[in-house]
Amino acid sequence: MTPQEFAAASLPLVGRRPKVLVGMSGGVDSSVAAALLVEQGMRVVGAYMKNWTLDVPGMQCPWAEDLAYAKRTAVKLGIDLKVYDFQDVYKREVVDYLVREYEAGRTPNPDIMCNSHVKFGLFLKTALDEGFDYIATGHYARVGKGSDGSVEETGKDYRPWFLNDVAQHPPVLRRGVDEHKDQTYFLYRMGGEALKRTLFPLGGFAKTQVREMAQQRGLPAADKPDSQGICFIGEAPIKDFLRMYTQPRPGLIVDADTKEEVGAHDGALYFTLGQRKGLGVGGGEPYYVVGKDMAANIVYVSHDACSPELQTEEIVLEDCAWLSGCSPAPGAYLVRTRHTGPLLEASFDPQGETSGYVRFAQNTERVAPGQSVVVYKDDICLGGGIVR
Amino acid sequence: MMRYPRPMLDSEFIYLDHAAATPVDEQVRAAMAPYETQLFFNPSSPYKPAWDVRHAFEQARADLAHAIGAKPAEVVITAGATESINLAVGAVNACEGEPGLQGGAHHVVASAIEHSAVLACVQQHPHTLVPVNGNGLIDPRDVRAAIRDDTCLVTIGLANNEIGTIQPLRAISETIQHVRQERLRNGSAVPIYLHTDASQCAGLLDVNVSTLGVDMLTLNAAKIYGPKQVGLLWASRDVRLCPLVVGGGQERGLRSGTENVAGAVGFAQALQMAVSQRKEEAARLSSLRDALQKALLDANPDAVVSGHKKHRLPNLLHISFPGLDAERLVYLLEDQGVYVGTGAACAANKATRSHVLEAIGLADDAADGSLRFSLGRLSTQDNTQRAARIVVDVVRGEYERVGSEHVRMNAESFWDNEPVPPKGLW
Repeated sequence: MTPQEFAAASLPLVGRRPKVLVGMSGGVDSSVAAALLVEQGMRVVGAYMKNWTLDVPGMQCPWAEDLAYAKRTAVKLGIDLKVYDFQDVYKREVVDYLVREYEAGRTPNPDIMCNSHVKFGLFLKTALDEGFDYIATGHYARVGKGSDGSVEETGKDYRPWFLNDVAQHPPVLRRGVDEHKDQTYFLYRMGGEALKRTLFPLGGFAKTQVREMAQQRGLPAADKPDSQGICFIGEAPIKDFLRMYTQPRPGLIVDADTKEEVGAHDGALYFTLGQRKGLGVGGGEPYYVVGKDMAANIVYVSHDACSPELQTEEIVLEDCAWLSGCSPAPGAYLVRTRHTGPLLEASFDPQGETSGYVRFAQNTERVAPGQSVVVYKDDICLGGGIVR
Repeated sequence: MMRYPRPMLDSEFIYLDHAAATPVDEQVRAAMAPYETQLFFNPSSPYKPAWDVRHAFEQARADLAHAIGAKPAEVVITAGATESINLAVGAVNACEGEPGLQGGAHHVVASAIEHSAVLACVQQHPHTLVPVNGNGLIDPRDVRAAIRDDTCLVTIGLANNEIGTIQPLRAISETIQHVRQERLRNGSAVPIYLHTDASQCAGLLDVNVSTLGVDMLTLNAAKIYGPKQVGLLWASRDVRLCPLVVGGGQERGLRSGTENVAGAVGFAQALQMAVSQRKEEAARLSSLRDALQKALLDANPDAVVSGHKKHRLPNLLHISFPGLDAERLVYLLEDQGVYVGTGAACAANKATRSHVLEAIGLADDAADGSLRFSLGRLSTQDNTQRAARIVVDVVRGEYERVGSEHVRMNAESFWDNEPVPPKGLW
């Protein structure tokens, strides 16, 4: 849809409550998000997304229990709960991607792909197809009124920015108020069009407030612990999961400093940059993974946590995604190399629309290939890319 | 110290899920208590007090056997019905060496509506599932048709745990007797056994093994006001069982591990009470159940009751409210202090449609709105009547909510005068 078509369609409709499909995972965040929307007087329907899960003895994703929590919450709020089966897309876009990337020696981030393909892809499309005006999730992020990119303080107002003219001033993605919970790192690939159709009711709140709100409302998830680990394999270590989908390939562990063989591994793909545990090279000083040679199937390690191999000044990003639809201008930005990691000063030098160089103001931890680096201007998340 | 959750129980709660779990009876608890504390000795130890404990355990076995009309030596005490079923179905492994069974084929026949414990065991062997009719009833002729030359085991639950249908086990037993005769006439020595899972039935139906005409029978203490994780498998002397848990050789080597003496004593006490009170209790529950069914059907003529009208567990009512979501009903009822199930507790956990309801051909929209009420010792005329009223109200409320496109109205909502974004971005 062109901006002109969009503007033509955006005639205000008075007197109709927006219909919102809110993703409910059964956890405290999405439960409170749903409650807040209901209290705002919107027409709210809950949605449980059934994603692909690995169901093998001893390794179980507790999705049935999550669904029960979501349904209990919906009953409490007096809203409907729909269950969507997104297993195929999830398997294809998230799980297969994850395995493929690891096999290529990279360290992917499945949550980012889940957001981009499932929650703000298929789920959003489904919601719009079914006549909803918006989707909502319990992410800690804000959709801000974007007026020419400048930041407008909206405080705790999670009422839609959509009262703004989205065609003239597309909304921007802003970090959540709670800097410890901010989830924009996972959302940078959600897409600008999705942003226009998304509500993040929790963006203006701190996690502690969200817990309190859940308790005040007697929501079933009020005391439910936050989920840990990768959603589709629960708490199981990623390595256990990968072993089921990949062939072990024994190889050597080599000390990068002395070039001496110090041990053996069962597959270089199971190791990631900076990893300390699980090397199986026991005794003495700890080793850190400082590099991998996938072709030779060698894992390089070092005793030196500050090894120059683990430091970098520059990162090359590829497969970039920008929420505004185009690369930011070359210049100084803040970047983040992991979820809730420090906001580092860096310059970004775009190379076309989908790649660019990040140059850090100070030497910083190297980032494993396959991980995402996200670019911010002030508290606006502009987008990001994947480390080559 | 670890603190375990203790839910705040409304003293007025109404429990209608006896088929899932029952509270341990006070007399059972009293019978068990000494064996958990003073009489803690290992039954295999050589000194006198331990010897006494062994006698108590054997007395419990004898009492259990007596309650089902069997001999003590034929009773294996297990850690629950699931284990008993594993042991029973595992008997086909002992058939492997039988002449006439080349390549170790050992075929099993079960009904399509068996409990998942049975189905999971059966699926480890070549098997055929016998269909049921719309009432959940098995036709013995279908069982006959499913039996092959290498079939060693037929396993049919005495009564279904979800819809309560009671199977014509005696007729099935006769069918199997014919098969045996035929095999012998044809010179085949391949054995064929009939096992029944009667976990839901003790205290409600006759579970005498000779009356039933079975070769193996599974029972469970947890369903009859006894402790959890205690069960038994009765197997006639003709049946050769295969060890399930190996170790110190307890239970004739079939399932090793120090005997659960307190559990066995509690189970024996519970089973004897269940059997002696059976007729009166079954009649009492049946009349309460019928009244509950009538109240729910009067208020909801479109509701569907599953299971056989006549051959049904007297305490069980499976009822479906088409178009409603059973789990929502459960949560709404729980809010009113009424606890019911949506089917077998294990199946409900998996959040998939019940294979039992699929087998009887219940329409999906009815299946999704199914509740299973199972009455028991906690049921009284008063609380059953109150539950019926609450269920009627909750069901009516849900039909209203579903019927009108539900809008949570808020008169002062600021939305009424706000512009709303356009459709069709995508």
